[in-house]
Amino acid sequence: MKLFAAIDVGSYETGMKIFELSRKSGVKELDYVRRRVDLGTDSYNTGKISYERMDELCNVLNGFRDIMDSYKVESYRAYGTSAIRETENTNVILDQIKLRTGLTVSSLSNSEQRFLDYKSVALRSSSFHDIINSGTAFIDIGGGSTQVSLFDSSKLITTVNLRIGILRLRSSLTELEPGSINYERLLNELIEDEVHTFRKLFLKKMVIRNIIVVDDHLPYIIHKLSGNSADDSFDSSVTADQFVEFIDKLKQMSNEQISKEVGIPMESSPLLLSSSYIIKQLIKAMEAEKIYVPGVSLSDGIAYDYAEKNKIIKSGHDFGQDIISSVENISLRYRGSQGTGSLLSKGALAVFDGMKKYHGIDQRGRLLLEIAARLRDVGKFISLDAPAESAYSIIMGTEIIGLSHLEREMVALLVERSYTGDMTYEDVMVYGLDEKSYLTVIKLTAILRLASGMLRSHKRKYESVKAVVREKELIITVDTNDDISLERGLFHRRAGLFEEVFGIRPVLKKKM
Amino acid sequence: MKSSKQNKTVDIDFRSPEYYFNRELSWMKFDERVLSEARDKNLPLFERIKMLGITASNLDEFFMVRVASLKDMVHAGYKRKDIAGMTPKEQLSELSKVTHDFAALQYSTWGRSLLPLLKENGIRIISHHEELTKAEGAYLDRYFEEEIYPVLTPMAVDSSRPFPLVRNKTLNIGAIMTPLKSTNLLTKGQEKEGGKKGNKEAKRDFALVQVPDVLPRIVSIPPEVSGNAEERAFILLEEIIERNISRLFLNYRIECAHPFRIMRNADLTIDEDEAEDLLKEIEKQVRRRQWGEVIRLEVEEGIAPALLKILVEELNVEEQDIYRINGPLDLAFLTRVASLSGYEEFKIPSWTPQFPKYMNRDEDIFTQIRKGDILLQHPYESFEPVVDFISSAARDKDTLAIKMTLYRVSGNSPIIAALAHAAENGKQVMVLVELKARFDEEHNINWARTLEKAGCHVIYGLVGLKTHSKIALVVRREEEGIRRYVHLGTGNYNDTTARFYTDMGLLTCSERIGEDATAVFNMLSGYSEPLSWNKLSMAPLWLKDRFLYLINREAEHAKAGREARIIGKMNSLCDPDIIEALYKASAAGVKIELIIRGICSLKVGIPGVSENISVISIVGFFLEHSRIFYFQNGGNEEYYMGSADWMPRNLDRRVEIVFPVEREELKADLKHFLSLELSDTIKAHVLRSDGNYEKPDRRGRRAINSQKELCREARDTARKRQETMKGRVFVPETKPADETPDTE
Repeated sequence: MKLFAAIDVGSYETGMKIFELSRKSGVKELDYVRRRVDLGTDSYNTGKISYERMDELCNVLNGFRDIMDSYKVESYRAYGTSAIRETENTNVILDQIKLRTGLTVSSLSNSEQRFLDYKSVALRSSSFHDIINSGTAFIDIGGGSTQVSLFDSSKLITTVNLRIGILRLRSSLTELEPGSINYERLLNELIEDEVHTFRKLFLKKMVIRNIIVVDDHLPYIIHKLSGNSADDSFDSSVTADQFVEFIDKLKQMSNEQISKEVGIPMESSPLLLSSSYIIKQLIKAMEAEKIYVPGVSLSDGIAYDYAEKNKIIKSGHDFGQDIISSVENISLRYRGSQGTGSLLSKGALAVFDGMKKYHGIDQRGRLLLEIAARLRDVGKFISLDAPAESAYSIIMGTEIIGLSHLEREMVALLVERSYTGDMTYEDVMVYGLDEKSYLTVIKLTAILRLASGMLRSHKRKYESVKAVVREKELIITVDTNDDISLERGLFHRRAGLFEEVFGIRPVLKKKM
Repeated sequence: MKSSKQNKTVDIDFRSPEYYFNRELSWMKFDERVLSEARDKNLPLFERIKMLGITASNLDEFFMVRVASLKDMVHAGYKRKDIAGMTPKEQLSELSKVTHDFAALQYSTWGRSLLPLLKENGIRIISHHEELTKAEGAYLDRYFEEEIYPVLTPMAVDSSRPFPLVRNKTLNIGAIMTPLKSTNLLTKGQEKEGGKKGNKEAKRDFALVQVPDVLPRIVSIPPEVSGNAEERAFILLEEIIERNISRLFLNYRIECAHPFRIMRNADLTIDEDEAEDLLKEIEKQVRRRQWGEVIRLEVEEGIAPALLKILVEELNVEEQDIYRINGPLDLAFLTRVASLSGYEEFKIPSWTPQFPKYMNRDEDIFTQIRKGDILLQHPYESFEPVVDFISSAARDKDTLAIKMTLYRVSGNSPIIAALAHAAENGKQVMVLVELKARFDEEHNINWARTLEKAGCHVIYGLVGLKTHSKIALVVRREEEGIRRYVHLGTGNYNDTTARFYTDMGLLTCSERIGEDATAVFNMLSGYSEPLSWNKLSMAPLWLKDRFLYLINREAEHAKAGREARIIGKMNSLCDPDIIEALYKASAAGVKIELIIRGICSLKVGIPGVSENISVISIVGFFLEHSRIFYFQNGGNEEYYMGSADWMPRNLDRRVEIVFPVEREELKADLKHFLSLELSDTIKAHVLRSDGNYEKPDRRGRRAINSQKELCREARDTARKRQETMKGRVFVPETKPADETPDTE
């Protein structure tokens, strides 16, 4: 049994959950404390977090530390989300927090944050897999933005970030609120604007039957409507009509009335209303039938992720595959060839696996390599002359669910440099990589570039690929009926970086 | 027919003032019930004396808190009517009549009934020093010189010395005196011109001496001094001082000397939002309390008019606030008389709380709690397990944290000691000490500091809210994981009062209650309210809504033709929303039985409004203090207990906790407890529709004293268990078995 704390420095409140993690009982929440610290208003309005807010935040975090001590917590993870991420002084803030509280808080990228939320739902809900078997939108409402991920046939189709977060919406309307302006109409207009673009670009003709919502306040509407307790309602749903009808009823009420009707603290009523408006618009756009609001928070995701990575819990779901699915969709959007991507990834991963003893990179690095392989030719959509630079720009401008900023940067660099094979330490320092990341990127670039050399004709040729190191040589054996003379002839042109990095000479062979 | 009845219900204005009693007058009704105990000839003499003493301290509290508040309202020109339709001025005027009558009854009880009875039984209380024999006088004069004189501070008032501060609730002796040798030329001149009278008035001085509260109020005169071995004689301290007052003012002749006592406005009002340091602010307020406006002046009935005039003018007292007392001032000393050693025949035998039925001494408390929720019924059952709960946690290696709220603790609290010990043992200890517990502020500040020194994290209450809830949480790291143990109670963590207050407690390790308890302490530490609660209901957030929901649900059951019943046991009921809901439920056909010790603003027997409501008040040997609520809920019965009365201050301005009791055996115990109290025919007083209380009609009913019955049951249970334990011990024979043939 291990005691673990997950801290979420959010846009409008900072919270901490204490968990008991064990192989026997899995992830069990023991304590949940939260306090309102409105970082978002500062961050979204001025781009900076004020000293007053910093003081407030550090006081809260020091209180959290006391609670962690009282439980004798053994590990913790603390993450800042959009307000921390979007402030101009992120590093200064995080450094100050470390100095004043002793806690290491990291900034979580939007895609990482959403992935953690998603992970906690997928791991906690017993019916999750059944739900996503048919068209499902996973909607994660945050303070700064809302992430919409679409699933069909149990596969993640796409994921999009809409800049309509509950706090951001309220901040946008702060100046407009006074006077006789119809606040609700304006709010709806703001939401509709974003939803419209989303519908045109991503939804197209997809049929969405279910909506799974991650939000701090909406679960209480489900409790109210389904009559289930917080625990029981994890998998319970209500119809979209019921949900919308209830939201319309709430709109007529004062904050106090909402608080009483739903059974939430009064301070949460305006936030609940903002979340309701967002969901209502999305229900309208998607014409969904059922709504699930499982009531998980980022802290749950942090704990599940920690427990999974530390092999305390086992997941029946392949989260890596979700990331790959979304990457395939990104590739498709830029007319990338699925076949080539798949083949390139097969080759690159075979080399990676064969070189295990020599590169020392973990499974996460393997995932980055696979992503890079699948996205390698997206740049050609923009320019056939400069696919490397274009691919870099596309990747850096695209949300890849589950990846941190650093990882996305690594993937983009990996793809770009796999075209050129140039990569000096000084050269990549400008991208903000540390030494460890640099070494990972250069090793993976060497592998990806080598693998790309095996696909010179860009035709699907290999049934299988195997790579084994024997006496300073990496023997890559491909199982194919095709003639691979071209690849064999040109292979060594792409092997320079590989040999330089690993001191091993690659040899391409055909399975006899 | 049904629909016409329902229509009629709709037309009734359940908030009409005529349906409510004024809460202050109802408070006085409670004091009258206590006084009726003092007048009850069936009670042992010392019990009656104790009850009379209690009425004195109750009345003091009433003045300091309620009368003071009404006075403030009148001074502020506040004219808003209360739920019974009375303005503050009307209430004060009515209360003045009631309290004067009450005081008269108190003293007639003392003078005509109890004092002679004491004398008959060999206890002579000397109310006037003039009654002393020569030998007794000489003895007491010596006592005065040796014991009293050194601690007295006599104060004379003249033009150069202003009228001294007379401290709240202190007993004083006021005197008028004249100088013995007048050498003043001006005085001589006046003597010639104005004659004797003019001179006397001009030269009169006022003097004051406080009866020291560091000395015992009653002084025993040894039998060898009194010369009567069959009798014990006692005199009041102020009488000894009065007898010797001339020794305090040597150059004066004492014209007259009489004791008097004042009551000042002691209502503690703190602007918590502005108080930077709540602790300091409370200390300041406690000091300031001594200077509040005088709201009652008690004087001896025969006080010299001149002396009374000085007091009235200097203390700025209105005629209606003067109480002329026919007997010793401040009868609170009677509780001391009642506790005199010996005289067992005049006392109710003392009660030893029994070891709780759901516990055993051989197993550690946490193991016992894991076996199932434990109900504790104090004082029938001992408070020891509650102390043990905290002290075991303090010693226990697996305990990570202890958190609890403290409202009023005893003088030498073992709980405080255990908490300090736990902190010293490296446990995380968080204690919320409610500094605002009325009249206990100074005491609580001291404990809070002791705890802080030991390393506990002390929270000094919440701004704007009094934390009245009684909850303790122990967090343990066990083999199976973290487990939380919770004690929830209806009474304070006070091992002394737990011996004579009837309270209930629940020990549980229910995961859902544990989660809620954690959330309670998080909130008390300033963190946000949890988005939902599992089992506990907390004031001022949701508790009133919860009660209203439960009452309304019962009304719905009745309307649907199902049996519907509510039983509520509490100290006071005066929340208008709750009363309105009860009236509506009664009108819908819910049977409502209330056991309310003190204030009850609800009226019974109003046609169409409260015909189905009955109210009793139990005033017994123990102070009824538990709050228990029962809802029949269409057969799915629910029981709740907690710290809250149905009063606005509890539901809207305090942190209170109400919790369900879910284990079936415990529910059965509560059912039995409530039905026993409801069937009490000895100590119950039944509320009549006119607001008066009367003893129940005992015709055809068994005489039941519920408190006595509960004592008997607790003792029987403990005895049976002891016998069972004995039966399980094999006793080896020490000599050969008897030769008696076995007949079976």
